[in-house]
Amino acid sequence: MKHPGPWLLVALGALLPAAAMADDDAALQLADRTADRVEAARDWRFLAELAGADAQYRFNDQPAEARLSLDGRIDRRFHDDWRFVLADRLDLRSSGGHQTSINTLKEAYLGWQPDTDLLFDLGRINTRYGAGFGYNPTDFFKVGALRSVTSVNPASLRENRLGSVMLRGQTLWDGGSLTAMYSPKLADTPSDDAFSLDLGASNPQDRWLLTLSQSLCASGCDNLNPQWLLYHDSDTTQLGLNWSVLLGDATIVYVEWAGGRQPSVAGRVAGVDDSAFRNAVATGLSWTAATKLTLTLEYQYDGAALDDAGWSALRTGPVGPYLGYRQRAAQRQDLTTRHAAMLYAQWQDALIPRVDLSGFVRQDLIDDSRLSWLETRWRGDSTDIALQWQYDAGDARSNYGGLPQRQIWQALLTHYF
Amino acid sequence: MRSNLRYLLPVLLGGLLAAPALAVDAQALLAASDAVRNPDKPFGLTTTLVEYRNGKQTDTSTLAVYSRADANSGQFRSLLRFVAPARDADKLMLKSGNDLWFYDPASKATIRISPQQRLLGQAANGDVVTVNLAGDYSASVAAEEDVSDGDKQQRHTYRLELKAKTPDVTYHRIEMWIDAANKQPVKARFYAESGSLLKTAYYRRYQSQLGTNRPTETVIIDGLDPNWVTVMRFSGYAWRDVPESWLQRDFLPRFKPQ
Repeated sequence: MKHPGPWLLVALGALLPAAAMADDDAALQLADRTADRVEAARDWRFLAELAGADAQYRFNDQPAEARLSLDGRIDRRFHDDWRFVLADRLDLRSSGGHQTSINTLKEAYLGWQPDTDLLFDLGRINTRYGAGFGYNPTDFFKVGALRSVTSVNPASLRENRLGSVMLRGQTLWDGGSLTAMYSPKLADTPSDDAFSLDLGASNPQDRWLLTLSQSLCASGCDNLNPQWLLYHDSDTTQLGLNWSVLLGDATIVYVEWAGGRQPSVAGRVAGVDDSAFRNAVATGLSWTAATKLTLTLEYQYDGAALDDAGWSALRTGPVGPYLGYRQRAAQRQDLTTRHAAMLYAQWQDALIPRVDLSGFVRQDLIDDSRLSWLETRWRGDSTDIALQWQYDAGDARSNYGGLPQRQIWQALLTHYF
Repeated sequence: MRSNLRYLLPVLLGGLLAAPALAVDAQALLAASDAVRNPDKPFGLTTTLVEYRNGKQTDTSTLAVYSRADANSGQFRSLLRFVAPARDADKLMLKSGNDLWFYDPASKATIRISPQQRLLGQAANGDVVTVNLAGDYSASVAAEEDVSDGDKQQRHTYRLELKAKTPDVTYHRIEMWIDAANKQPVKARFYAESGSLLKTAYYRRYQSQLGTNRPTETVIIDGLDPNWVTVMRFSGYAWRDVPESWLQRDFLPRFKPQ
């Protein structure tokens, strides 16, 4: 084959910019036809979610479950300096002809900002800290906050939880902030009543928390901007740290740590004061590829959870203490065993625009059991359709092998108003 | 003497012809065009993004942007609040150079994201607007050209060649056409480190906003797929009090725009 002549190359060279100009013209014509329409900001948001779940149980089979969830939030400013926030969720469940409902008053508080750099809030506030993805040692108010679990996805667990009644104040300065909050004891025991405020879950004891952050380098640099926390309740005083660092333009490395004298989870269950200095850590790396895939790998450590020997002994012992321990660890949203790892993947517009794939694997590094979760989600203009799959694998009475369900399928239809 | 003139004349003439280009301070011109796009005091505006693929509208979103220039670097630091779609309403993003924090009022999670992660959404295109290029790029005049602008008008422009001062910027090289008369940006092409074209932007629909004529629309054409077009419209320009102390991670859970 003969090489193309110089004239052909010249002609091609002239055609390429011409093609680019044609593309540009077509794009500008699209812009010309775009209607002038601006969405106004609203003070409220509301969603309704319809879900159907079918699980395969290890022992006694249970019927499939249908669920309707209504979730709303109002955040309204008035008189310039004042703000009112109300967030509530109602989960209505039906399974085998049996209906249950749980209402979660997530937030209801009044905010006052007397000055640009000074803020106060009073009421039920959902306050959450933590750089970690799947485990948050510095999220001190997570204890007892879960009232109705609809998915094991960490994002869902964060959204669907109870705030704590507290007084919160914050002062700001250039590059730094100090927040103080006090949450008093208001009730003794949690309540399963459908429409209970559940103050026994949200305010079971007097607690306070101080949070300090200060950027340690010139403005525009957050790599040296750790967040320090000091937490106190009747059982423990703990120091906490959250720190995230950007590496290059696609990688975030983070560490979250909390440490202080505190009883172990097993000690709490047994009513024994075995207080000692215990650490808890979540540290990981999150990397995003140009293909819209984000991978997060996290290591999790909880010094208050059982180690290999303790966990083996509990698994092989009587079932009562085993269940009691698991229940307490779940209620506290602590790790069940001392070491764990998690890999989370999220792929936006996977193969098809508006279809997202996400999933995670939680690996218990003590007993080798594993929880796998996958979701495919289609994002419409105001409606999502999602299919979720969860598989709990492991030996009998292991962390995940001990869960009653082996496998769960869940389909969801969510409409945003 | 005559032979000397014969050689010298083209050089002299060339020098005279080149003089206008040489007289242009490319960096100052770039800074002036930055000032056309971005007000010099803290401000707010609403950005509406409409996305097209193959000529069909596929997505739309609205963001409220609150921005102020950093006193030291001159670079813009912004609080972005998602207004629409309803799924994302009230989510916030704090952008300060490459430092990005994302806050979701539903989960109360304030998480740090990387510039690459931010590029996943349409909001990524927001950085084509509220960014002072003169801070991050070294400019030189590549040519004087008459080009057709986004409104199909002929403009006499300087084509500036911008080279990134540091490697941690999203676009390693930018070609920017700036109106020679009024310093208005006309269009720009953004390139990756590999040399591939990432996006083309047309700045158009100039209107008087906050004291000067500013582009109220940017049309962005994807470099790899020219059928992927994003139209960004800017409205609701207003001077806003955006205190420096609000531009930090720990303020995000408390931010409630006016």
